[in-house]
Amino acid sequence: MDALATNLVTVVEGVAFGLLLFTLAVGLSLVFGMMDVLNLSHGTLYLVGAYAAYALSDGSWWGLVLAIIVGTAAGVLGGGVLAGMTLPLSKRGHLDQALLTLGVAFIAGELFFEAFGHEVVPTAPPEALRGSVELLGRPYPIYRLVFIAVAGILALAVYIAFERSTLGALVRATVADREMVHAMGVDTRKVLFGVFAVGAALAALGGTLGAPLLAPGPGIDERVLVLSLVVIVIGGLGSVRGALLGGLLIGQVQTLGVSLLPDLAPFLLFGAMLTVLVIKPAGLVPAGGRR
Amino acid sequence: MTTQTTSTAGSEVDLRRSLRFGARPGRPSMVTWAVVVVLLAAAPFMLNNYQVSTLSRMLVFGLLAISATLLTGVTGLPTLGQAAYFGVGAYTAAIVARDLTAIGPVQVVLAALMAAVVALFTGTLATRARGVPFLMITLAIGEIAHSAATSWSSITGGSDGLSGIPRVIPLPGMDELRLDGLVYYYVLVMAVIAYLLVRALVRSPFGLVLRGVRDNEPRMRAIGYPTGRYLLAGFTVAGGLAGAAGALLVSVQRFVSPGDVGFSVAAVALLAAIIGGVGSLPGAMAGAALVVLVRDYIGTDLGGHGPLLVGAMFVAVVYLLPQGLAGVGAQVRRRIRWRRTEHPA
Amino acid sequence: MPARTNITWTRRTRLPLIASCALALTLTACGGSSLGGESDSDDDGPVRIGLLVPQSGIYTALGDDMKNAFEMYVDLNDGELGGREVEIILADEGETADSGQSAATKLIKSDDVHAVTGVVSSAVMNAIKDMVEGDEVPLVGSNASPTDLVDVEYIWRTSYVNDEPGIALGEHVADAVDGPVYLIAADYQAGKDEIEGFKETFLPAGGEVEATVYTPFPGTTNFQPYLAQIQSSDAAAVFAFYAGGAAVDFVKQYDDYGLAGNIPLYAPGFLTEGGVLDAQGSSAEDIYTSMNYSADLDTDVNNEFVEEYVERFDIEPTTYAVASYDAAAVLDQAIAAVDGDLTRESLNEAIGAVGEINSPRGPWRFNEGGTPIQTWYLRQVSEVDGELKNSAIDELGELGD
Repeated sequence: MDALATNLVTVVEGVAFGLLLFTLAVGLSLVFGMMDVLNLSHGTLYLVGAYAAYALSDGSWWGLVLAIIVGTAAGVLGGGVLAGMTLPLSKRGHLDQALLTLGVAFIAGELFFEAFGHEVVPTAPPEALRGSVELLGRPYPIYRLVFIAVAGILALAVYIAFERSTLGALVRATVADREMVHAMGVDTRKVLFGVFAVGAALAALGGTLGAPLLAPGPGIDERVLVLSLVVIVIGGLGSVRGALLGGLLIGQVQTLGVSLLPDLAPFLLFGAMLTVLVIKPAGLVPAGGRR
Repeated sequence: MTTQTTSTAGSEVDLRRSLRFGARPGRPSMVTWAVVVVLLAAAPFMLNNYQVSTLSRMLVFGLLAISATLLTGVTGLPTLGQAAYFGVGAYTAAIVARDLTAIGPVQVVLAALMAAVVALFTGTLATRARGVPFLMITLAIGEIAHSAATSWSSITGGSDGLSGIPRVIPLPGMDELRLDGLVYYYVLVMAVIAYLLVRALVRSPFGLVLRGVRDNEPRMRAIGYPTGRYLLAGFTVAGGLAGAAGALLVSVQRFVSPGDVGFSVAAVALLAAIIGGVGSLPGAMAGAALVVLVRDYIGTDLGGHGPLLVGAMFVAVVYLLPQGLAGVGAQVRRRIRWRRTEHPA
Repeated sequence: MPARTNITWTRRTRLPLIASCALALTLTACGGSSLGGESDSDDDGPVRIGLLVPQSGIYTALGDDMKNAFEMYVDLNDGELGGREVEIILADEGETADSGQSAATKLIKSDDVHAVTGVVSSAVMNAIKDMVEGDEVPLVGSNASPTDLVDVEYIWRTSYVNDEPGIALGEHVADAVDGPVYLIAADYQAGKDEIEGFKETFLPAGGEVEATVYTPFPGTTNFQPYLAQIQSSDAAAVFAFYAGGAAVDFVKQYDDYGLAGNIPLYAPGFLTEGGVLDAQGSSAEDIYTSMNYSADLDTDVNNEFVEEYVERFDIEPTTYAVASYDAAAVLDQAIAAVDGDLTRESLNEAIGAVGEINSPRGPWRFNEGGTPIQTWYLRQVSEVDGELKNSAIDELGELGD
């Protein structure tokens, strides 16, 4: 019974971590799946939001709100800049985009670490959300429970916006046949910039809300990028549902998995990805109709 | 308008050249090769020990970049997994050197074989996919290899790596190489042999099929080629080459650690291949040389700002050299031709 | 017709481009040949000391401490060591064995330094061991210290041997804790060394191990699954080895999930050393650690050192800083003692003959393996004047003999 409770708390932890991974990965997935841009500076966008949380959170609600506004705005800006930088490369394939965005990630990362120091900087959640509650007889941090709720709502909002709304239909149509949508009188460049900006904003927002779970510092950008790539490849590129499923799966692999199979812990993340890809190369939830 | 016509003329030239040699444009001429070979041979007389060992590392990473470009450029499968086979080769060579023989070519051959065997097995998984899923499978293979190198400490020495590797002996009966310049010559000779082998392979009918698969796989399959087997063979060869490069690394630095199997090495291999101009063997060599020069040679003096410079280099290459280093010649040619037509001398 | 001329042009224009890529080095070459014999350092001009510390990557904070302290020592000595003017040549160790080896090669083979100091990572230390011994250049290491680094002639360490923090703590924990102890560490060589060191003294003193767990390194940021296992075990105490970012995550989560205050936490001092302690905040309170230094040691040498250090850098000195400061002191004594020409060889001999170093950590001297014989302290994180600090509360005896 005790072991069961222990593992159940670990499952909850996995959900929190999985939803964090979803908010990070969904932007990368949209930008890649819908616009065909491989953005390797995605981890840097997480740093944008997380450092905003570090610099602006002072323990009050207002601090958090301010951090969210600044972090998201900076994310939108970063996404716009990246969209503008990668636009001229749209005909040159993923590898040139990868080289460019990785270069941007190196430069931006270096500037961040110059400004905020080379150590991992922790961010405390607002005072009201500190401390723990009893969960199955174990203390569990309140902030993580709140995070699960907030990130869950966010996931639902993104899903509705992209897969159920007219706007989302327009975006998906732009990707499927850009010329056609253009002929209908829509400025497709605006749509492309828009998707990039929203994807980047989600990563930055994930950084602001996720900073107390995964603090920013050197190496974290690379880690976020790799985790996000794993999540979207497992889930299926360009699919919001896939990103959610992939995030939750990797969340469990990284928590319940290491708890049950501690000796295999170093191999679990990529072992899971390898298994999924070998069985379903297009991911668990391939985006409809597209490769 | 003038630029328009001249660039058409340029592509005609390119087309003729490619028809004649069966390869992409931008290949250096015989004169260029002669000069490069002479300069590489003369380098130890002009450079100090540190510079020469940097040059040796450039050759090693150049071979690794060529192995990446075999997959990424020639075969059309972008890879982030070459560090795994590089590592298998390096650890094999280190163990052979320590426990069996200090004779370099033996280490290189065994390392290449071992890496090729591992590539054959992992390749059966990887070559089922194409494009980004292939990239991610190779990434997974690389990361799992890195974890194995760290965890399997009875063989690999764990995170602290394997040291105490004897100096390399180039041929039976010769003395061990004590001077950095002589180690460089050994690496140079081995690299040239490997390079020529790969070049012959790429120009062979086998290489032609690989490029055919890259350009249009369904058509190749329709003609009757078992494309999957060709890709697996290409994957295995590229793995073997990466293993050989790993063995040479061990001769240069007499040390191997999980860092040599890591993501950053795999990324350098892929990036060097892209910087070089995808599919070009000399371009991959030059790309690797540039990355090593900027990261390891200039970077160590910048007070920790090495990554900034590397990042700036990537961005600059993308915008200024759309076809990579291999395209530099064509780019300059176009510029000159433009000038000649605009202002006839 | 134009096609032919174009090809000629091509050949001419491409040639310098490819050549310059492959041989950009030639341009920066300062002459010299790599086929001659050993380069010998000349005796005129300043003493050249290569300072090999990370200036980029995850170990930068340690590198900064070591660089600051070394430069402070030289600065307090009017830019001299052993009465000779010093030129400090910095090189970026970076994060990997590769980058560290490359930087060390530059210092030893190109900058022709008399001695090297620094080195944070054990992997780098192993990677450069053969070169240092082969080129016969003294290396006064001030951090990295793998346990298998033995039988070396040119490598000295002013820090400790990697398993000593664990060895120092084992017996004390066996006495102080009533019940089994849970051992958890980052899964790399240093983690294994600390655990083995701890067991070496803990088991003979009657200690009982509940479990030994290694967590993937780097990459583990989420310790909840492990902490949950500890909670449901019978552990009466935990012994943990983490440093840097992982130390911050571990300590904060140890508190978040309700272990702090219930299960005492013992660790090698890195868990709460330097900047990580600020980042951990009140979560770190009451953690017990073992270290060869504590900033609050009340000796004249230490008080003076701390005051000067805090004034210059506005943070308390760490064990990393002290080891680097002492490396400068070792070189100071050794250079002064060299009789005749100052060469790598004569300097290395002089380092071997260096006597007691009157360090901020207390007096110490080299043992036969080239590592310090020194006193170890038990420290506890507690609030002093509104700030969290490591306070020495007991001595754990002398190690290294």
